[in-house]
Amino acid sequence: MQRTGLFIERAGFLQRLNPLTKVTGVLLLIGATFLLPAPLTGAALTVGALLPLAFASLVAHRFLDVLVKTLLPVLISLALVQGLFFPTSDPTTVAVGPLLFRRAGLQFALDTGSRLLVVAGAPLLLFQTTHPGALVQALIQSGMPRSIGYIVLVALQLIPAISERAVGVAEAQRARGLETEGSVLQRIRGVLPLISPLIVGALVEAEERAMAIEARAFNAPGPKTWVRDIPDPPVERTARIGMLAALGALIVWRIASLFSG
Amino acid sequence: MAYCVALFWMTVLSRRALDVDLTHLRTNHADMNDVLQPHTRIALHNVTFTYAGATEPALRDVTLAVPAGQICAIIGRAGAGKSTLCALCAGFVPHFFRGRLTGSAIVDDMPVATHPIAELVRHVALVGSNAFSQISGARFTVYDEVAFGLENLGVPRPAMIERVEWALRALGIDHLRDRSPYALSGGQQQRMVIAAALAMNPPVLALDEPTSQLDPPAMIELADVLRSLSRQGMTILVAEHRLEWVADVAERVVALDHGAVLADGAPASVLTDPRLCEHGIGWPRPAQMAAQARAEGRWAPERPLPITVADLAAGLRAAAADQESMNGQSNTPHGLTVRPVAEMDEALSMTPVAEPVVTLDEVHFTYPTGVEALRGVSLTVRRGERIALVGRNGAGKSTLVRHLNGLLRPSRGRVLVDGVDTRTTTVARCARSVGVVFQDVRNQLFARTVRDEIRFGPRNLGFAPERVDALTEAAIDALDLHDVVSEHPYDLPPARRRLVAIAAVLAMDTALLVLDEPTAGLDNASIALLKRLIEQLTERQRSVLVVSHDLDFCYEALDRVVLMRDGRIAFDGRFAEVDQVQTAALDGDVGLPIALRLRYVCP
Repeated sequence: MQRTGLFIERAGFLQRLNPLTKVTGVLLLIGATFLLPAPLTGAALTVGALLPLAFASLVAHRFLDVLVKTLLPVLISLALVQGLFFPTSDPTTVAVGPLLFRRAGLQFALDTGSRLLVVAGAPLLLFQTTHPGALVQALIQSGMPRSIGYIVLVALQLIPAISERAVGVAEAQRARGLETEGSVLQRIRGVLPLISPLIVGALVEAEERAMAIEARAFNAPGPKTWVRDIPDPPVERTARIGMLAALGALIVWRIASLFSG
Repeated sequence: MAYCVALFWMTVLSRRALDVDLTHLRTNHADMNDVLQPHTRIALHNVTFTYAGATEPALRDVTLAVPAGQICAIIGRAGAGKSTLCALCAGFVPHFFRGRLTGSAIVDDMPVATHPIAELVRHVALVGSNAFSQISGARFTVYDEVAFGLENLGVPRPAMIERVEWALRALGIDHLRDRSPYALSGGQQQRMVIAAALAMNPPVLALDEPTSQLDPPAMIELADVLRSLSRQGMTILVAEHRLEWVADVAERVVALDHGAVLADGAPASVLTDPRLCEHGIGWPRPAQMAAQARAEGRWAPERPLPITVADLAAGLRAAAADQESMNGQSNTPHGLTVRPVAEMDEALSMTPVAEPVVTLDEVHFTYPTGVEALRGVSLTVRRGERIALVGRNGAGKSTLVRHLNGLLRPSRGRVLVDGVDTRTTTVARCARSVGVVFQDVRNQLFARTVRDEIRFGPRNLGFAPERVDALTEAAIDALDLHDVVSEHPYDLPPARRRLVAIAAVLAMDTALLVLDEPTAGLDNASIALLKRLIEQLTERQRSVLVVSHDLDFCYEALDRVVLMRDGRIAFDGRFAEVDQVQTAALDGDVGLPIALRLRYVCP
């Protein structure tokens, strides 16, 4: 069992890119969807950028699966709430069956929904095509403190490990006759024997793990090296500069248009 | 995330929270000339260390000089100071564990007390006994985990790759390189953390209980690796309970008792020193068996006691030859009855007529992942039986154990516990008949005192208060826990924690007691306690099923052996009756107890 979060191991287009390039791309896409007019930008970026990239990276099926399952309930409730209750002076309504939706409310839901597609879809594609270890390594190599990177990685791996331990604790206590099924009172009585070993065990392990990473020279002075090489060709560095410049230009254009309008 | 932040701060704060008598250490530095010899890698002089809050020192006036390239084993009972000594040599005492240190400790020419761990890691590597918590958590594959220390030391990539590849091959985990460290078995994790330490190529390596989760073939492989490293000049300090393995691998043995050096010298002399028995450490089995033979007049008094099986076999052959030349015949091929056959026959005749406690009938089990862990297992456990369940990792032992009390229910076939199908009842009800002590006792212990912990099981079963009290006291008696009944289970050394976990299930007074790797990390005295407990249970017509890699313990304490392979029972027989074919099957899968090795492999 590999504990690598959302990452899907495939030999696609995005998987070959440096994680920093992908992070910069995500920033540009999210920036653009807020800085350019909605809903056209959100829809265009989803159909014109995210989906082709997902196909080129061989993760389109899982990408759409997660995106639809995550966003569909949000989008439906957004359309219902904003369509029915959006505060507006515009009396125009749209009838859908017995329901009368306010047009301004639907417009707001459409704008927000199109932006949500990019805000959720771009990071999803990043994490589905980037191994978390590679992402953290790239961030550390570009200046993020190692301790922060360590905390992120430990969290990613230990949460599933603690879940497994919880199963082990439940098994051990049920084997000692603890009823974990049945009435509410029985369940409440069962909480302490289930929670206590988990917390005490985690604290004891925290000390041992702190000792273990010390033993593995985590705090040793001097430059660090990496066993995995993350390629960063000049073309990608140039692309990152280009994307950041585009983002900057969009921000300047947006501010300028606000003042001129 | 809060846990991770706590972990990070614990690392930072522990380095600041020192309470060390450094002045005294510096003044004693001059005395080190008495101890230091050319090429001495570990030089301890009058070292005494008391943990913060403790009333008694963990190490008392320890003086020790270990030269380069020596494998020095530290033995002793649980709590004798073995782990503390390893931690001291790696600088974790006093830099990580608070306390008062006096005397002088120099490792690879570095005074330990005045150099931080961050510097000492280039000179000494420490591997703790709990493999799971030695995993850094920062890497996603075994390969990257082994490389983690080298990355932190700033080793250039080509050299790093070379060392990682070597370490993976040396520990036999090359095929696991792309697996998650958390997806490995306990034994595989133990090999991985040792590989990670070896990859750092330290002049000094300190290993604390390195074999606690290893099966016999892996133990032999580890011994080979350590010998090879020692020949290359690495100094190896290894704290270990398994005296047979120590006898095989060590060039020198230091016995500790209550933190003080009890004996120090060549393995052959220390491991047969009578003081070891007097202080509850015991001897390796070959020495015990030869001593028994000597007491029965079948081992010449002038012949030294052997510490390895090979020496024991040679000695027994010589004794048999002598006897043959004197009497013209020999009773046994090796002249030694290693276990009274009458005792086995008695157990044999008692059990088949007894009523069954658990019956597995053509049990199949497939996990949701699609792994078919049991493929038609039929097994009956009767009252009064003592059964060893053995097999390689992944053979299906753990899955089978979880069927014995209904934690898992068969995909096909059925399991009857005291005549009741586990599919029609709850785990809590099965627990009235079957008590299971799992290998990782941390999952079990939660109460504030040892006594409360032991009372938990019988109270769950709804016993009357008087019966709960009586069973609790009996369990405390059986596992010799009187001196710790008011302590928190987590404050005890791991070995005694395991005894508390066993006592807690024993107090449930079940017809069948299942023990998963009960001897892991236990010293000889505690193992003897377990053997006595199993005998007492048999006398009361209670059954015991032990899952273990410790074949010698199984042979000495149990009667019946069930070998599992690929989800099936490869054979089910009695130790007293195993033939050459079954012995070969056992040998191929899990190794042999010394007695069977003497009977069939080196008669």
